[in-house]
Amino acid sequence: MSTPDKVIINRLPTGVPGLDEILGGGLPEFSFNIIAGAPGSGKTTLAHQIVFANATPERPALYFTILGEPAIKMLRYQQQYTFFDPAKLPSSVRFINLSQVVLEKDLGAVLEEITKEVEKASPGIVVVDSFRTVVRKALGGSTEVELQSFIQRLALLLTSWQATTFLVGEYVEGEIRDNPVFTVSDGLLWLYQASERNSIVRKLQIVKLRGQLSVPGLHTFRITNAGLQAFSRTLGLGGQVRNIPSTRRLSIGIAELDKMLGGGIPEGDSVLVAGASGTGKSVLATQFIAEGVRRGDPGIVVVFEERPQEYAERASSFGLDLKTPQQEGKLEILYLRPLDLSVDETMHEILEAVQKIGAKRLVIDSLAGFEMALAPGFRADFRESLYRMITALTGVGVTILSTVEVNESFVEFPFSTYSISFLTDDIIRLRYVCIEGQLRKIMVVIKMRGGNHSKDIREYEITSEGVVIIGDRLADYQALITGIPQHLNRPGPKEEPARKQKSKNKA
Amino acid sequence: MSLLASRHLARSLLTYETAAGKNSEPTESAPSRVFEKLRRPLCALAGVAGFRSLLSRALTLARAEAPSLSAVEIAADGSLQGLDELGPQIDKDKDRGQVNTNEAGAILIANLIGLLLTFIGEAVTLRMLQEVWPKAVFDGPDYGKDRKLEHTR
Repeated sequence: MSTPDKVIINRLPTGVPGLDEILGGGLPEFSFNIIAGAPGSGKTTLAHQIVFANATPERPALYFTILGEPAIKMLRYQQQYTFFDPAKLPSSVRFINLSQVVLEKDLGAVLEEITKEVEKASPGIVVVDSFRTVVRKALGGSTEVELQSFIQRLALLLTSWQATTFLVGEYVEGEIRDNPVFTVSDGLLWLYQASERNSIVRKLQIVKLRGQLSVPGLHTFRITNAGLQAFSRTLGLGGQVRNIPSTRRLSIGIAELDKMLGGGIPEGDSVLVAGASGTGKSVLATQFIAEGVRRGDPGIVVVFEERPQEYAERASSFGLDLKTPQQEGKLEILYLRPLDLSVDETMHEILEAVQKIGAKRLVIDSLAGFEMALAPGFRADFRESLYRMITALTGVGVTILSTVEVNESFVEFPFSTYSISFLTDDIIRLRYVCIEGQLRKIMVVIKMRGGNHSKDIREYEITSEGVVIIGDRLADYQALITGIPQHLNRPGPKEEPARKQKSKNKA
Repeated sequence: MSLLASRHLARSLLTYETAAGKNSEPTESAPSRVFEKLRRPLCALAGVAGFRSLLSRALTLARAEAPSLSAVEIAADGSLQGLDELGPQIDKDKDRGQVNTNEAGAILIANLIGLLLTFIGEAVTLRMLQEVWPKAVFDGPDYGKDRKLEHTR
């Protein structure tokens, strides 16, 4: 005899972009859930989104309102959201006010009223908003056992009638331990809202969810005129299959630098280009993306410090055409500047763009600009989120080049002010050196996780062709990385480094 | 939606109820029947207290046009008392001249619908009215535009 199949729990859509993924696929059907949070955290809006996403004339949604926001006002405000479909009222979505029953009668009468409506409508979704009011009222005149019994009977009724239930309430975290409703519930969605300096940070957590695996931790969400939008900590990439590591090397668009990199950047690597202001990090990044487009690799450039048009115009001054591939949908320049973005939201925008055009190359110019574009409260999460995004994207074969500005120092040789070099496979360091009374530029490949690379320190210039490496390695100097090198053969400062060979810089 | 439109809606409901009343022997007037049919869904939606607040406001607004409505009161359950007892009196209105008290009910209903239109909008209000009077056709000068919008969502 074969083993009977285990029960399959259907999952209902929440109607909230990103939330189904956080929940592990959606809301478990017939579950008894709590939506908790402080006033203004978005509980009622979330409940409405769930209602409108699921209600049908055959399995309508019953929305019981109790003493909280007056129903008329709730309807007035909620219909401003785009998910609110008046055509669903009242055949699919019905609002029932229980305030008077709660005020004038006992828990038994409340249960009786809910039972009457549920048996009449056979709803697929039931919302009680605010359930906290019911509990408060009950605690005034009932024992804890009576309250527990009421909640138990309510859960039994609604589950037996095949309704997925949401009790909305303004709870505080300390109540989880003592409140019986948390024990009975199958799911607990907690919405948080905190102000950090001048920004508001909204986060949600699936504190409890019986029967399926949700994504743990706090997830950012935003409320727009479309309602809530959630941004999973996994950035929606949790289930993605990692590509088999590629052996392809990507040209950076500078032949000599490709050689220094051992033949180019290994596909799927994360490259950090670090240097002081004016050392040509952005130019090098532009050459990388333009070379990709030229070779058929769609690309995304994320800029924070200049607008896409300016970026494209600056590229054209180096002979790099970014406008045509933009028009052809092979290149997208994203300008992300709002100062109240969450890091996950920003990552989400980048990922969407990457997926939309099937990008193979991604430039983030720069990490400092990226961090500044975030709301202050999210900056603490920056490194962690960046790590998650880079790991996820490089795992599916996207090659990422990020620029980072470092303060030029003549006593140390930092790679990044962010201590993020651990999340990069390769590091190219650009820096100024003082030679022969001139401030020149040198570059060196610091690290390549994928294998050997040149140890040479090479001088370069920024010309009308972009970054151009000149000459061989600067063999006649020592202490180049200090920025104040010494000529090995003579103490005097007269001799120039080798500048004989204008390298073939075109790839 | 304009005040004119809410009056047009109120009159449509009264016409519909008057016609329906000819097939039976109603004990209440058409305004009372319209009002009673509105009361039930509105009490379910807003609660009795919420409905009484709305009605109280509508009554105050309506009394400005039809002073005879001063004799009408709102009961604890939200029902109206005294509407059918107004009798064939004549109200003096400074703007509109003489207003027959037969119209008082229509004025009150129009004001109540006007408040609903203000608070919850045309789409939701019309949906609610259609639920109560499924066979009634609500057509008027201002409805078409919003309905089209609703259908193209």
